Amino acid sequence: MAKVSIPTPLRPSAGGQATVEAAGSTVGEVLADLTRQHPDLQKRLFAGEGQLHQYVNVFVNDEDIRFMDDLDTPVKETDEVGIIPAIAGG
Amino acid sequence: MQPFADVPAELERYSRQIRFQNLGEDGQRNLVRSRVTICGCGALGTVLANHLVRAGVGFVRVVDRDFIETHNLQRQILFDETDVAENLPKAEAAARKLRAINSQVTIEPVVTDIDHTNILDLVGDADLILDGTDNFETRYLINDAAVKLGKPWVFGGVIGSEGQTMTILPGQTPCLRCVIETSPPPGMTPTCETAGVLGPAVAVVASFEAVEAIKILAGKHEAINRELLMVDLWDWSFRRLKIASLKGKVDCPCCGRREFEWLEGRMGSHTTALCGRNAVQVAVRRDQPLDFAELAGRLAPLGQVRHNQYMLRFATEGHEFTVFPDGRAIIKGTNDIAKARTLYAQFVGS
Repeated sequence: MAKVSIPTPLRPSAGGQATVEAAGSTVGEVLADLTRQHPDLQKRLFAGEGQLHQYVNVFVNDEDIRFMDDLDTPVKETDEVGIIPAIAGG
Repeated sequence: MQPFADVPAELERYSRQIRFQNLGEDGQRNLVRSRVTICGCGALGTVLANHLVRAGVGFVRVVDRDFIETHNLQRQILFDETDVAENLPKAEAAARKLRAINSQVTIEPVVTDIDHTNILDLVGDADLILDGTDNFETRYLINDAAVKLGKPWVFGGVIGSEGQTMTILPGQTPCLRCVIETSPPPGMTPTCETAGVLGPAVAVVASFEAVEAIKILAGKHEAINRELLMVDLWDWSFRRLKIASLKGKVDCPCCGRREFEWLEGRMGSHTTALCGRNAVQVAVRRDQPLDFAELAGRLAPLGQVRHNQYMLRFATEGHEFTVFPDGRAIIKGTNDIAKARTLYAQFVGS
């Protein structure tokens, strides 16, 4: 299973965990499994069916999925899927 | 101590960084000739200004809309308790410290709210723009101005123990909107109030920003990092995310289509709730500066009022107003924008 890293702001919706193991062969499938495990994440990540919020950036091994195949980007067992927040303070 | 024989006398105070081979005397001479605008002088901005003034950047403009409060002192390194007692605006207090640190640098403090009407004047003559703000509204505005003018800028954001930074070189790298298309709506992201912020985390992110600034201003462009850095000081995580390939790949309204929605005033509000402060800023621009003596006389029967040349403070019925000469006010005791507008109209007048 791929490892999904959960940013601090979303951890309360993921049982407080910093990483969650999720199954799937694409980013979309992995995130679907993630939101099955933690339903509160659904509306935090997705604007609608199969569409991420514009302010949610997802990387696979430090590459932005928008440069690959978005939610169809393939994910291997050893990959890390990172959800990257926009940090406002300063 | 003997001066370094290989460092000219006028640059002697910078001898230790000139000795750093990647900068060198040529880099230092470029720094001394360069101009920078720091947008925001809070936690990030004070660290940025401190580094750049000590490093000898020739001209540093510090722009900030706010005044200093005791809870700032935990992380905003240029300020102290005397500044709080004197009710000084951040830009002014920072300028006093920075001039004492390095009299060779020209410091220009500007006490104003950066918006689409004034940003081009504030950054137009700078070689580089630095992000010391605490909100994406101002950052998208900076991004629009920087891309339009073709000026480099460095973004930084911090909350809790984590932060992020990236350097934008218009035409060469993705801009802020390529990478962060929109900011999360209010309520979807932690604020300074809910998540807090550690001083060292801000100092680290601002220091990364400052080093990129030094490279850009010194003319060491080959050394500029072109990734998005994510760092968490609590758990020592450090990620460099590859973003260079986003340039031209995403349909960016700003650097792709050159639609400057923030700069043209089509995006962004003029009245904003301030992060974690239970306060709202009401920006009502005036052609003439407010007459504090007149306003103080009018408010005196209604509550406690005092003023100096920089601000007027008025407390009444659970709300505290801090009013600036340009007509802007920060109203504490509410997060409700409409309520704040009402209070402004009631007590300051439109």
